[in-house]
Amino acid sequence: MFNSENNEISTKNVETIIGPSIKVKGNFHGQGNIIIEGLVEGSVKTDKFLLVGNKSIITASVVAQNAKIGGEIKGNIKVKGYLEILKSAKIFGDIEAAQVSIEKGAILNGRCTMIAEMQEKK
Amino acid sequence: MHIYIYDNYVNDKKYQPQISKIETRITDLGLSGKIIRLGAMNSVYNIVEEEIKKGAKTIIAIGDNGLLNQVVNAIAKLKNVSTPIGFIPVGKTNNELANFLGIPINEEACDVLSARRIEHLDLGKINNSFFLFNSTISTEDTKIEIDKNYSIEIIKRGEISVINIPTQKIPKEIKPSAKDNILELLINTKGAIDLFSDSQKNANNSVFSFKKLHIVNDKKPITVDSSIKIPTPVEITIAKEKINLIVGKNRSF
Repeated sequence: MFNSENNEISTKNVETIIGPSIKVKGNFHGQGNIIIEGLVEGSVKTDKFLLVGNKSIITASVVAQNAKIGGEIKGNIKVKGYLEILKSAKIFGDIEAAQVSIEKGAILNGRCTMIAEMQEKK
Repeated sequence: MHIYIYDNYVNDKKYQPQISKIETRITDLGLSGKIIRLGAMNSVYNIVEEEIKKGAKTIIAIGDNGLLNQVVNAIAKLKNVSTPIGFIPVGKTNNELANFLGIPINEEACDVLSARRIEHLDLGKINNSFFLFNSTISTEDTKIEIDKNYSIEIIKRGEISVINIPTQKIPKEIKPSAKDNILELLINTKGAIDLFSDSQKNANNSVFSFKKLHIVNDKKPITVDSSIKIPTPVEITIAKEKINLIVGKNRSF
């Protein structure tokens, strides 16, 4: 789990919290901020912020406006804005974002594509 | 005219001192009206329907959580009715919900009635019934499906609540309101550290917003407004119908 300092801004006005004792199966699409501390299988999509805690395991494609990842994700991640990958993260899939930061210790097995770079080439 | 519907149990002798004080206070405040005592054969819906046709100004439930739920259901099922509902809880048994409306027990509730502070509130709909506060069921053997898009599996034991007006502790990031046209699904399981609690007590919350929720439990019913038990499967949605409720200034929402 994240420390409270990191969470302070991100967890205000949350629409959905998937706690550690919860497993969600299917297409989980929200319009507000989402916190995931449990298990998700399927797809996750939000127009706002996604926070993935370090105990969570997501087997799904992920789409969000901005995201902070501390858990395990098996699937591709697409973030329109800023993607922050913490040292506890394990990502097995491709990531796509406008801005990325990867903390030392994080595991990333997949391609990294910057959206702004792609748009410039077009 | 104010219509006072007396629950069956308040006719018991042990409640007579409270009822006498309530009636005296109602008279002192100039709120006298018609008294209807519920019996085994009376239907709250029929009483409410008839009295509203006659021009009732307020329908007041004198009883407990269960009678309040019945009056709310009666008003919600009558189309285009905006008659305010009042509530005078009698006795401490099955009356914990009044506190969240800012309504004190027994004769002190008459002052809330007199102040006539009316809130226009959402209702939850569970199959063909309505609820004002919440619907709750144990996580054990319960299956949940939301908006037919995804299902939820609950790994540890706890309680599932569908909330319109919250009566339990909820994560501080979530702000349910009975005026936002949204219901929240709260799943509270035990045994894990609570990320969202200031006190770090043992608790574990999950919260989902939804349009349509399907709950199935073959062994246990779902409890509505701490009073009515409805067997599953149930479908829960936010109701199109709303009610006008007289509340106290110390309400929780």
